[in-house]
Amino acid sequence: MTLSDLEGSAEEILRQYEHPKAAMLPLLWLVQQNQGYVSQEAEAWVGGQLGVARSHVREAVSFYNMFHTKPVGRRELRVCTSLPCLLRGAGGVLKQIEGRLGIRPGETTPGGEVLLTEVECLCACEMAPMAQLDERFVGPLEGGTVDKIVQDALMEPGQPEATPEPDPFICSSGPVLSARFKNTEGSWFEDYVADDGYVAARKVLTSMTPEQVIDEVSKPNLRGLGGAGFPAGRKWSFVPKDTTKPKFLVVNADEGEPGTFKDRYIMERDPHNLLEGMIIAAYAIDSHKAYVYIRGEYFRSADRLQRAIDEAIDQGWLGKDIQGTGFDLEVVIHRGAGAYICGEETALLTSLEGGKGFPRLKPPFPAISGLFSCPTIVNNVETLACVPFILRNGPEHFADLGTARQGGTRLVCVSGHVVQPGVYEESVGITLRALIEKAGGVRDGNKLKAVIPGGISAKILTADEIDVAIDFDSLLAAGSMAGSGGVIVMDETTCMVAALGAAAKFFADESCGQCSPCREGTGWVHRILSRILDGKGKVEDLDDLLTITAGMEGNTICVFADAAAWPVQSYIEKFRHEFEEFIRTGCRVDEKEVGACSA
Amino acid sequence: MLSLTIDGREVGVSEGTTVIQAAEKLGIFIPRYCYHPGLSIAGNCRICLVDVEKSPKLQIACNMPVTDGMVVHTKNEKAEAGRRAVLEFLLANHPLDCPVCDQSGECDLQNFYMNFGLYNPRFREHKVKKQKAVTLGPHVMLDQERCILCSRCVRFTDEITKTGEFGIFNRGDKAELGIYPGEVLDNPYSANVVDICPVGALTESDFRFKARVWYLSSAQTVCNGCSQGCNIDMHFVLDRPHLNDGARIVRVKPRYNPDVNQWWLCDEGRYGLGWLDCERLTEVRTANGADATWEQALTSISTTLAGAGAEEGGARIGVIASAQLTNEELFLIREIFQGGLGARVTASVPEKPGSSDDLLIKADKNPNTLGATLLGLAGPGAPDAGQIVEEAFAGKLDVLWVFGHDMVEFFGEGTVRELSEKVGLFVFSGTNANPTASFANWVLPTSGYVEKDGTFVNCHGRVQRIGSVFPPLGDSREDWCILLELAGLLGLPLEWRDPKQIFLGLAKAEAPFAGLSYEAIGEQGVEIRPTGSDSGAGERTGAAAP
Repeated sequence: MTLSDLEGSAEEILRQYEHPKAAMLPLLWLVQQNQGYVSQEAEAWVGGQLGVARSHVREAVSFYNMFHTKPVGRRELRVCTSLPCLLRGAGGVLKQIEGRLGIRPGETTPGGEVLLTEVECLCACEMAPMAQLDERFVGPLEGGTVDKIVQDALMEPGQPEATPEPDPFICSSGPVLSARFKNTEGSWFEDYVADDGYVAARKVLTSMTPEQVIDEVSKPNLRGLGGAGFPAGRKWSFVPKDTTKPKFLVVNADEGEPGTFKDRYIMERDPHNLLEGMIIAAYAIDSHKAYVYIRGEYFRSADRLQRAIDEAIDQGWLGKDIQGTGFDLEVVIHRGAGAYICGEETALLTSLEGGKGFPRLKPPFPAISGLFSCPTIVNNVETLACVPFILRNGPEHFADLGTARQGGTRLVCVSGHVVQPGVYEESVGITLRALIEKAGGVRDGNKLKAVIPGGISAKILTADEIDVAIDFDSLLAAGSMAGSGGVIVMDETTCMVAALGAAAKFFADESCGQCSPCREGTGWVHRILSRILDGKGKVEDLDDLLTITAGMEGNTICVFADAAAWPVQSYIEKFRHEFEEFIRTGCRVDEKEVGACSA
Repeated sequence: MLSLTIDGREVGVSEGTTVIQAAEKLGIFIPRYCYHPGLSIAGNCRICLVDVEKSPKLQIACNMPVTDGMVVHTKNEKAEAGRRAVLEFLLANHPLDCPVCDQSGECDLQNFYMNFGLYNPRFREHKVKKQKAVTLGPHVMLDQERCILCSRCVRFTDEITKTGEFGIFNRGDKAELGIYPGEVLDNPYSANVVDICPVGALTESDFRFKARVWYLSSAQTVCNGCSQGCNIDMHFVLDRPHLNDGARIVRVKPRYNPDVNQWWLCDEGRYGLGWLDCERLTEVRTANGADATWEQALTSISTTLAGAGAEEGGARIGVIASAQLTNEELFLIREIFQGGLGARVTASVPEKPGSSDDLLIKADKNPNTLGATLLGLAGPGAPDAGQIVEEAFAGKLDVLWVFGHDMVEFFGEGTVRELSEKVGLFVFSGTNANPTASFANWVLPTSGYVEKDGTFVNCHGRVQRIGSVFPPLGDSREDWCILLELAGLLGLPLEWRDPKQIFLGLAKAEAPFAGLSYEAIGEQGVEIRPTGSDSGAGERTGAAAP
């Protein structure tokens, strides 16, 4: 399709946004889906559509990992080599795939069949080691599955595929969030309504004031479940009431923290629950336009959520005059394109406005000046998915499920060296030890070595530090954080140096590059660790790593640099002996062989 | 008013002031790379970290609004440690190629390392490789490895020129500055990105490997390229002619003036001063090209003028002065020729307007049209060059004096030749040779505007002093000096001895300039508002005397 053939679609996309530049990512996607890559000609065309200089289009194309600037294979196989996948053997899997396809990551097979890419966490660690073939997640890549995915990768797209649909453990009995996860094809409108769906939204729209809604959500201390743990009701209350500007609700569905894979299940299996939460939140903050920013690799999440939006519009639950109450809400799905940093709420807004995902200086906070400089509330998918329960069953019920300072349950993502990785809906009062037991305990009867309790950014806990509840306050008191609820379990076979190397590579790959301490620090740390892994470390490197990360921590616009610093500091602090031993004995391991510890 | 304490000193500032601005008020310098007062706040370099009491983290001074009672430390251990860490990060991948970098000596990586760094380097890894010596356009070169990604240049082309050439591509430590492949950085203000680049990433092609900056002398002046009168610093060498092929002017930098050009300068002005060192008139010449002395020339000219001035009440002398001349010189021309000899005088010639925009560039390429107008030598009521030429053709003039103009360009070679034959004495005075000069009976070499003192009035009514950067070239003389000498020879009683005194005389005589002096004009000029038919003193605003 030529660019001029895309003009109609472009026009339709542009109509969804308040400002033309915001259509940057959708237009780049439109081009890539139709032409296979984003050519220079296409960059100029997109710039023309948006009224943006070509240099700024190129900035976006080069910032987001998923765009190609030259022709590539007709399919793309993305192999995840982030820590949770490495723990389960992704290093070997990638080598096997490279061998079968006869290419290295970044290359396309000579016949043009498939582009192989090595990617950071796709947030599907429950099926680790995993990969994504075009839009489909596949895993675990064990035994014959590796052959099957290679076979599928070489086939024309659209043919029946040999690789089986993943079937990890996903709980479906939770009280708040997971009851409808049993619908693997996604809950339809009727399924949801049959389960008391939209009852809470109806109650809110017909009988409550926004203040009452905020009050109900605040009572049980619903905390932001994207990672920061900020009380959701309090956040909503920051939206100014006396403004004439439009207000926006933005849903953070840019799930990206390695070890986290919960929001995807909400969107794929229970999307109406999210939509109902959004209607209630939008009503509470007097917003009539909501964007859902979904990470680019989550194709199915975007499809399922769009299906639910279409149903909701048909059923009068979205659009103008919802259920005759006079309340309007339009929902637009906005797809990311491969950048972890866009999960940071202000980076998400910059990205949504069509820029590179650069976090913003605060103040002003988004609630005052966010999307398009208007009051904006950014909430995580899981946070909003808790809201209908609170309004339907009462704040007390929600509060009772959790702790005094954090009501409710969480979708806890357990990955790494457990018998049964997966999504577990648990009270936030559960301890890490109990959680690991629920997940079948440590694999192969091995000894536990360490646990990362809240995604790769969280400080690591040793095997004897896991008698701690997973709520925000308990984990903070334990010197770590609950973060996004991604619990990564490491057994005795784990090489902590290689594990830290993997974390450091992630942060170096994903730093947006805006602030100098983070841009330079993440790269520096990664290079030191690579050198150590290559057997060329010095013991003083460990102290350098600590002082370098101290210089990063707290000195940047957002907390990414802190998140990059914490693993370094905590791994070295808690496993210093292992690091020193590694260096002293001249040990040398492949960066991707995390599970090869002989220490 | 808000009150805050920085490093133990208290200062009052208005609401909305940032810590970096408040510190400036106290004369406390907080280092900065990304911060530039003319651009939006980026907050990315992090070098301006300061310790604000009650705030657990260090804060960036450029984006920290002052609150009442705030206590800030820029020099305590915490702040210094933060800055030192940031500097170490910025230098981690820096190539440290200072010996071959044109920025060396005026580089804020060097300067801040000496002031705030001084750590023991410990970066032992391979540095990230990027492109070096990339030609971006006619004036600017890029070294991506030296770039610290402060984004000043990106913001300049986005916010000031709105041309959007620059971008920072890729991310993490692979992020690199550049322009779109195949594009050229050639907007009319392109070289400003070199000025605002705090390091050696963007350098001037024109200055490349020409001279170490510490060999350059600098003087303040005003650009004469158009009627905007942008304030500039002229960087020159007099004692090392080998550095610059004998030319004195090495480069031009904009000088901050909030009321004229802020921080900026157009490329046309910046690179439009080559004539000052090139093909200059440096000797007095007669019609047949023979050399002569100033004494011979002025004696001869004054004798003819005295004769022509005695006839018909002086109407047989025509003077085509120029809006390139200073107020002082135009005033002398008026006093001597119009007042003393009764000549017909104008500074108005039929020039075609040049290019212009709504930022700085003005279509009138003369620096002092408004000055000439205020002195009655241009604008309504004043004769124009065409009228004087007609009079000469009609045989009504015996003497014609042209100040610098190329009459051939305006009226054609034939006309000028004929004109030179019609008048008894044709004097050309100017800085550079032009086709008109070859028809003159006397060619008088004059100083370029940076070789003399004086004032211009820019198009917004701002009187600005041009200062004197370096002495006149060769045997050339300042126009005011020639004119004073001539007045003496003509027996006209002018008591002034230099531009400063002439200006005081002018200020006494001309209402819009009333009360002004060089001291009052200062380094940034004073705006006068000519009140048109209202003959009262000009109302003025702007910078006061230092």
